[in-house]
Amino acid sequence: MKLAVVVQRYGADINGGAELHARYVAEHLARHAQVTVLTTCARDYVTWHDEYPAGVEHVNGVPVHRFPVDHERDVKTFARWSDHVFEHRHSYLDELKWLHAEGPKSSALVNHIVANRRTYDFFFFFSYRYYHAFHGARAVPERAILVPTAERDEAIGLGMTPPLFRGVRALMYNSPEERRMIQAASQNEDVPGVVVGIGSEIPAQGEASADRFRQKFGITGRFALYLGRIDRNKGCNELFTFFLRALPALPKGLGLVLVGKEILPIPDHPRIRHLGFLYDQDKYDALAAADLLVMPSYYESLSMVALEAWALGKPVLVNGKCEVLRGQCIRSKAGLYYETQAEFVETLRAIADWRSLNAALGRNGQQFFNQHYAWPVIEQKYLDMLARLKEADRANGESTKMEAEPGFLARRRKTLRPAAEVLSELPSGPVLN
Amino acid sequence: MAEFNIRTDSVDVEQIMRQIRARIKEKRGVDYTEQQIQELANVKLERFLDPKGVRSDLVQQFRRARGTTPAPPNYNFEDTTLYDSHRGIVRLFRKLLNPFLKLMFNPNAIAHVLHMQGQINAINAQHASVRDELDSLYYEVIHNLVLEVTRLGIENKNLKMRVESLNSRMDFDERRARALEGVVQYKPGSGPSREERPAPARYSGDSGRSQPHAQQHRSQAPQPHQVQPAQPLQQAPQPPAYSRPEARPEARPEARPEARPDAAAELPAIATPEGLQPQSGGATEPPADGAGTVRRRRRRRRGRRGGRGRAQGDMANAAGATPAGSDAVSSTPPHGDPTAHAALDDANSYEGAEQDVDSGSDSGDDEGPDTAQ
Repeated sequence: MKLAVVVQRYGADINGGAELHARYVAEHLARHAQVTVLTTCARDYVTWHDEYPAGVEHVNGVPVHRFPVDHERDVKTFARWSDHVFEHRHSYLDELKWLHAEGPKSSALVNHIVANRRTYDFFFFFSYRYYHAFHGARAVPERAILVPTAERDEAIGLGMTPPLFRGVRALMYNSPEERRMIQAASQNEDVPGVVVGIGSEIPAQGEASADRFRQKFGITGRFALYLGRIDRNKGCNELFTFFLRALPALPKGLGLVLVGKEILPIPDHPRIRHLGFLYDQDKYDALAAADLLVMPSYYESLSMVALEAWALGKPVLVNGKCEVLRGQCIRSKAGLYYETQAEFVETLRAIADWRSLNAALGRNGQQFFNQHYAWPVIEQKYLDMLARLKEADRANGESTKMEAEPGFLARRRKTLRPAAEVLSELPSGPVLN
Repeated sequence: MAEFNIRTDSVDVEQIMRQIRARIKEKRGVDYTEQQIQELANVKLERFLDPKGVRSDLVQQFRRARGTTPAPPNYNFEDTTLYDSHRGIVRLFRKLLNPFLKLMFNPNAIAHVLHMQGQINAINAQHASVRDELDSLYYEVIHNLVLEVTRLGIENKNLKMRVESLNSRMDFDERRARALEGVVQYKPGSGPSREERPAPARYSGDSGRSQPHAQQHRSQAPQPHQVQPAQPLQQAPQPPAYSRPEARPEARPEARPEARPDAAAELPAIATPEGLQPQSGGATEPPADGAGTVRRRRRRRRGRRGGRGRAQGDMANAAGATPAGSDAVSSTPPHGDPTAHAALDDANSYEGAEQDVDSGSDSGDDEGPDTAQ
């Protein structure tokens, strides 16, 4: 079986959520099928500037075919279009312009997909909101499997996305909340879909060393760990505010260690330590040394670092306003959540101080990870879906049901509601069943 | 260190969160949601609370505005009006030609209709003048009603807040009463000596929380709102073991209005119903032989915190705040700033703990909830 994984960026040094997700899936499916990655030459998710050379290279044994992007992102243009389609009544054409402004627009990538539609049995398109997924999936709907990685943001309310969700062969959801949101937005219940999520390259037991981390970075005290981009979009500003205000109330010596690229200025405080970007070994060592992982993000389709923390038996403290994270905590019984400053203080203290609670949450997390997110489980879900689609193809033949795009006049009519308005009507809150 | 056995399958995150929220609410009185706060903020009371915002001469202005409109003229039309003229010759010719005119059409009907219209206009004008007077009266009534309804709305809001406040205070008093009940059996001279007394049952309920603080409550209980002068800890009715000179409230000039030495002791209450039981030989049992040093250190700590907490409570009282001396139960007045309270009361407990650390063992199991006792 030949599979193509289509994603906006790809590389061993790219740690964006969806991109890492795509790499892990590609590398693991490569054990069961012939996998090729189709991606752009971009490395920076803001500018989409071509940094990798176009052509084919191998990353961890997987062939990666890169295509140049047509143009870099103009941030101001993208912001204007975003404001227009998210907040105002607009047309289908406006949404296409928004999509092109968002990028990474790579006509060569889509042309390659069209030209090689028979080369691959299935295409896995990652991140529904990008150019490659929209146009790629519309080009080969009968072989398109979408991994939407949808967050609860306005893009889900755009008028061009429901036909996409209804037209692909299958969807691999990251969480029950994501599935509910997409099904509510697009009424695509009849499209095969399964909540899969993603595993992680967890080191074997005993390989992650807290002592090694403490020795290497000179950290002796207890600490809560934040892993990821240090960005306002990830809720880091709120985390800093809450943590600094809570300092007098926190257990003695409990610090905050930040790992990741700094985009937001980090407060200069002795209890906050920034280590920058860490490679996997150091990252897992940091998790092993931490008392807990903090995840302040408002928008997550699936928090891989939370899963990694659980895999290593560490509890997490998440932003309760993110329904996915909150749902994960409740379902896994492996973390607490906060919505206010007072809750942040109390939950952080509860996890940090109350050792048996900490241990119980960690144990639950480990169990939850092994049951749902261990690689054999993930791989099996993917393989089952592929087998199911193959079986359907044999029974019914390949059939496409992607709705046609509006015509010349129809796509210019301003009939689409503001995406934010649509989003506000979608169900929210954690899925507990 | 207070350690608890938690069965993995018994962890119910939602219940823990409910209990944490209940505890936050209990500590800080009524917790308004953001929506409620927004609603309260949107109530435009200022205009009505400020008499300058209400125009007292509305009725007069209304009358003045109505009075400036002139009454519409009325035209009296009779059967002769049609042929009338101030010139005699014209009147004569019209009279002569009247039969001819009546031959062409019937002017009587026109005269009659116009006459009727004149009468109707007169009646309407009379009605309008009556209506004007009634309108002024209605306006005055409505004006008074608006004022009355606004006043009632404000009063309603105030009463709601008072009810919430009284509820919080009632809960506070109940907790304090329970704490005082727990103190009675340890009244100095009537109960076991300090050294023989088992360690306070910190995790068995409110009555078992920090006993020295409960005694402070007893001394303050009859007059919870009275402003108390700051007293050194050793003057408080506490056993000597708790009243050490190191309490030194003056050493903490940044003393805050609330102290909550038993902050962490409340934590176990969060999960106690969910299968969280103290470990055997845990904090509810007296320390084993050789643990005397730890016990003394713990008492010293309590003594310090108790002393500082009292001084801080007194400071808060002097500032006109709700009594803060009852920190063992809940020293936080309702409607307070949760963030500030959390930071302040916890600061008292943990900063105290930091000062007490004098050996590595303190950073071990003896920390966390237990050190805050």
